Amino acid sequence: MTAPFNPASPAVEARQLVKRYGTIAAVDGVSFQAMRGEIFGFLGSNGAGKTTTLRMLCGLLRPTSGIALIDGIDIQANPLAAKARLGYLDEEPFVHPHLTGREFLHFVADLYRMPRGPQRDARMTRLLNLFDLAQKDGELIGSYSHGMRQKIGLASLLIREPSVLLLDEPTNGLDPRSARLVKDLLEELAARGTTVLLSTHILEVAQALCRRVAIIDRGRIVAIGSIDDLRAQAGSEGANLEDLFLKLTAGPESREMIERLLDAGS
Amino acid sequence: MPGALGIIVRAELLAFRNRLLKRNPVGLAALGIVTLVAGGPIFVGAFAIGVTAGHFLPFAIDPLLAAAFTGLSLLMLVVGFPTVIASLFVGRDLLQLVVAPVRTRDIFIARLLLAMTANLLISALVLVGVLGVGAGAGAPWLYFPIAVLLLGAQVVVITALQAILMTMILRWVPARLARDVAAAIAGLTGAGLYLAWNLNLRQTFGRKGRPDISSLTSIVQRIDWLPTTWPGHTLSATIEGSFAGALAWLLATLVLAALLVAMAELLYERTLLSGLGIFGGATVVSRRRAQTAIVPSTAKGAGSPSLAIARKDWLGFRRDVRRLTRLLPALLLPIGYAVALSQPGRTLSGFWSNVALVTFLSMFMSSALASPSIPSERRGFQLLRMAPLPMWQLLRAKVLIALPPVLATMLVFSVAVAVASKSGAGQLVELIVFGAWLALGFVSISVAGGAIDPHFEATDDRRSVGLLGTLAAIGGSVGFSVLSIGALAGFLFGEQVAAGAASIGPIPTTPPIGVAMILGGVLLVIAACALAGGLLFIANARLRSFEAGITATT
Repeated sequence: MTAPFNPASPAVEARQLVKRYGTIAAVDGVSFQAMRGEIFGFLGSNGAGKTTTLRMLCGLLRPTSGIALIDGIDIQANPLAAKARLGYLDEEPFVHPHLTGREFLHFVADLYRMPRGPQRDARMTRLLNLFDLAQKDGELIGSYSHGMRQKIGLASLLIREPSVLLLDEPTNGLDPRSARLVKDLLEELAARGTTVLLSTHILEVAQALCRRVAIIDRGRIVAIGSIDDLRAQAGSEGANLEDLFLKLTAGPESREMIERLLDAGS
Repeated sequence: MPGALGIIVRAELLAFRNRLLKRNPVGLAALGIVTLVAGGPIFVGAFAIGVTAGHFLPFAIDPLLAAAFTGLSLLMLVVGFPTVIASLFVGRDLLQLVVAPVRTRDIFIARLLLAMTANLLISALVLVGVLGVGAGAGAPWLYFPIAVLLLGAQVVVITALQAILMTMILRWVPARLARDVAAAIAGLTGAGLYLAWNLNLRQTFGRKGRPDISSLTSIVQRIDWLPTTWPGHTLSATIEGSFAGALAWLLATLVLAALLVAMAELLYERTLLSGLGIFGGATVVSRRRAQTAIVPSTAKGAGSPSLAIARKDWLGFRRDVRRLTRLLPALLLPIGYAVALSQPGRTLSGFWSNVALVTFLSMFMSSALASPSIPSERRGFQLLRMAPLPMWQLLRAKVLIALPPVLATMLVFSVAVAVASKSGAGQLVELIVFGAWLALGFVSISVAGGAIDPHFEATDDRRSVGLLGTLAAIGGSVGFSVLSIGALAGFLFGEQVAAGAASIGPIPTTPPIGVAMILGGVLLVIAACALAGGLLFIANARLRSFEAGITATT
């Protein structure tokens, strides 16, 4: 039996998470903690294991071994309690194309048993206005652009104010104004005590927002800590996050490859 | 084949091969066997009918051939439309071709070849019959290659005509919607033809004696001017040895085909350049009227996940033309059969024939409505998995959503058949209660079947349940029917036996035997409940352990 919610425990904790598909380990012993009110960056190249880790943390995937805890609650042992506390936004948001934005928000709110009434309606209107979706209120989500789907996905998380947000590339496909809005919003939410686990490969976003980051490469965490900690780990004083990331994931040789490719073509 | 055209066709063939190889080998082998077993007799039968007609009706060969080609053209026009739309106007891969430095003509011809596949399949059956006519009438050898050529030309004519019609329709209707509506019309036509054959034509052809074709001759004389009759005239002239006449009809057919293809190509190019078809075009149809004012909610209390799912399903079903259009043809068959079997001439005796009808219709309705319940969530299923909602609650919600329409249909249908068969009030009540029981069981089993093997990425509800789920649903439903009918028989006969009012062969009609029969009925009811409950239990376990990713579909 899992321990009940403990306010002193980390908001998100991965303990030796492993996910294997046959002989291939997509995630291999990932461990980290994100504290309350923290924006924690989860960085990695394509296919490094970011999304798999996030999906294990939100209960969409069952780990081969290891434990995922949300507010100290094991999501596998007590899924309903853990899920009630978290909100997960996939890279391609899970939305219903035949509902309007408002209908979709009502659907999600009902799924989480939010009280109905004028307060809920007012909050929805505020969110739709915030994300510039109010003028699309009569249109079905199926006709939305990718960025608009991303925004309605975010609104569906914020409508119910979860204590933990797991966001997979939340600024993907957003216009600069909306991307800025999301960044400001995440900072504000964190200031109010919401924990944000942000998976991204846009390093500027991570550098600007995250107090700490973890870098995952081929299913394993290769570095974790603040930017200063990472600089110390990589032995690169004054380096920015991009240089650190490339160094820690053995990426600089790509420049050499590009030169070879262009030379061969000329 | 010239450059780009060859590359596109090769890529299509490669994609077809890959799709084929990706399929389950067992399923593929089963499909091959079924095709051979079902297709063999059909083709042999068509050839035999052709030979018989050619041999015994030499005076009617021209109207017969003209009617065959005209009928084929109409059938292709209706049934082949969805394939034409899908090949020429829908599909993301078309975008890649359009932006590539490829002439629109190459794209059109490559796609036209693809679009012809459904029409070619339909025409193969007629071709066999037409060849049979030639063999039966002792036609010269030239008849046979000309027949093949004409069938091909007719397929080209109809496919080009469909492309031309679509270029006009797309000015007002988006391509995807047009495809869905066309699919529904094709499905309804197919189901209607099947029903008409079973209820009417089969009897007509089954009667002994020489068929009267005077009405057919009269019809063909009236439509003789239609280009669809020209291939028939070509072939009948060939059989008669009038080669000059045959050549004239043949040339007219081929020129018409060439003209239509050229016109279709021209219009197709203009359609693509106008931004219609694959680019969306008339998307205004998919939009809802903008809301002018938000009505403040008066609802109180916590939201209910079950009601939310029901509301979402209802809105989605209403707005998803594709789902609606695919359900209609499925519903035509049971209703048609029900009407036909309710006719006074049917052989089954009153009450038990009504029980059989109610069972059949309930099973069919449940399968059509409830089986796709879970898979039709598509990517939204992940949303439900992330919500604090146990999977058994989802299953319960889906059963409760699918049940009312099935129950309502069963109620109306039970009353209709009971009135038609002049059953008493008692039997009507028995039928209604039995129908409600069956509806609950079948809906539960069908929902479970869909949840046991869901194909969330299927865009067509009819393919949204895998083989395992389909077998579970069919097997479960058949088992549930047997147990339920057995239980009903136990209750009804048991009551009569207990009262000493029935005779069941050597079994003595005493109260203890009657009670034993009723107890047997109770045991069968328990077994039926266990069957439905067991399948729901497995479904719950399968949904809980579901881990696969679900890619977005359109």
